[in-house]
Amino acid sequence: MDGPEDSAAIRILGAAKHYGARGTSPAVADVSLRVTSGSIHGLLGPNGAGKTTTLKMLLGLVRPTAGRFEMLGEPVSPRVRARVGFLPEQPYFPPLLTAKELLLLHGRLSGMSKDEVLGRASDLLARVGLEGKEGVRLAKFSRGMLQRAGIAQALIASPEVIVLDEPASGLDPVGQRDVRNLMAELASEGATVLLSSHQLSEVEAVCDEVTILNRGYVAAEGRIDDLLGVSGRTSIRVRGDRAALPAEIQSLMEDVAVAGSVWIFSIPDTSVRAAIDILDDNGWTIESVVPKRESLEDYFAQMLASPTPSAGKQVAT
Amino acid sequence: MHRVLAVAQAVVSDAIRRRIVWVVALFALVLAGAIPMLPSYGVGVEGAVYREIALAMTYVAAMVVALVLSVARIPTEIERRTLYSALAREVRRWEYVFGTWLGIFITLGAVMIAFGAVIFGVGWPVYHEPMWQLWEGVLAIWLEAGVIAAFCVAVSTVSVPAVVSVAALAFLFVTHVRTGLLGGPENPMWHFYPSLDAFNIIAPVAHGSGVSLAYLRSMVAVFVGWAGALVILGALGFARRDL
Repeated sequence: MDGPEDSAAIRILGAAKHYGARGTSPAVADVSLRVTSGSIHGLLGPNGAGKTTTLKMLLGLVRPTAGRFEMLGEPVSPRVRARVGFLPEQPYFPPLLTAKELLLLHGRLSGMSKDEVLGRASDLLARVGLEGKEGVRLAKFSRGMLQRAGIAQALIASPEVIVLDEPASGLDPVGQRDVRNLMAELASEGATVLLSSHQLSEVEAVCDEVTILNRGYVAAEGRIDDLLGVSGRTSIRVRGDRAALPAEIQSLMEDVAVAGSVWIFSIPDTSVRAAIDILDDNGWTIESVVPKRESLEDYFAQMLASPTPSAGKQVAT
Repeated sequence: MHRVLAVAQAVVSDAIRRRIVWVVALFALVLAGAIPMLPSYGVGVEGAVYREIALAMTYVAAMVVALVLSVARIPTEIERRTLYSALAREVRRWEYVFGTWLGIFITLGAVMIAFGAVIFGVGWPVYHEPMWQLWEGVLAIWLEAGVIAAFCVAVSTVSVPAVVSVAALAFLFVTHVRTGLLGGPENPMWHFYPSLDAFNIIAPVAHGSGVSLAYLRSMVAVFVGWAGALVILGALGFARRDL
């Protein structure tokens, strides 16, 4: 969490939100996170972990019980939020407005003139896959199209920080890929993206860093590779029409999986060079050699099984 | 102010496309057009009867439209998360509440102009007199509908549509029984009782020559006081609400 403040686009320190008459029911107990400027940061966690409440506190939709919230180097205020775009989870916009009117509303709420919005609306709708839909009422949009319209409204004012809550929800695989590509494009253009998602594959594919919440606490944070890496082992994927791998490396292998002629297994880092030579000499085709790491799903399952929400908190830098 | 106007514009764009608004308006307009077919009440009073019934019908239709537009607007936007993306921008809660009410009030104004045009347009040729005072009645109804809309918007920031509807009807009832409850201005409580009677000018419009310019001004002042107070209350309630 420590780092130069000027490189943080978002900083949350000690956020808490308690509900109930006596404030005894914490939706968020103690969350701190830092999102580096220009990065794509994933916010992960099971249902009830506090992701959405944390985002709502950051955006002024929920009053925090405690905590400090900063964006772009300033305490969060309406003025700062002018530089932020937000896509809520499962957005549902006024159904009788057209896509263009939706963008006009949000553009004008962000201080843009009508001409500016209209000049940008067509390009933006095309960018999210809604080319030619400017005049169509939102009531006629499918779930996926509404999601795309929601992304467009989040981007209408060219925000420096973009907060996306489950952006791939309701999208087909092509749509999900488009959203991932869009996030990567935005980051390459200098925007900061904070992505809350249940879709672990999406997070793995696009995020530079993640913060994992569990029961209102930060359970882990850091780079995905560092969080999921299994130190000291390498994963090897080979192909060959044999019944068994060479006997010389069988004693080193763990986590062996076979599908048809493809074998995947892990061995100690120190044995990688020798193992590759043996496999090569025996006619196996080596398809990949990568550091072994857990899947995010496995990591999640382990975390949820821990006795306390922040037990085993891991900070990877 | 541009954010308030942006919200208001979106509300108008959405509201004017609601079929229920135009069904109510069309129904009332057809009835207004049919008033001259009612049985005659005697020479000299047909015009007055026409004006009274036309304004009463306009009043009922205006209240229905005001309730339809304002009772569920904010609760629905909260439930559907429609307003999240707006309030996550540089938009203050009070701007959203004020803009929502303003959009409803403008829509009501458009509906009232349509009503006024029809009852005026029917009355003139049928009774051979331009009933200009009808517009004073339409203005009073519009202002009162604006107050009712402000009440609904204010209550809806902290409650559900069913409660807002009941509260609005109770508000309408309570604010129109001052005379029945307290008698007249000689009662010391008279001036402190919440009343919308200032907008009830059907009698002078229907049976007289309308009201003075000074009265219209005072009516606008009462409207600004009521609507302003209610919108402020709504904004205060909404500002404290977790979404």
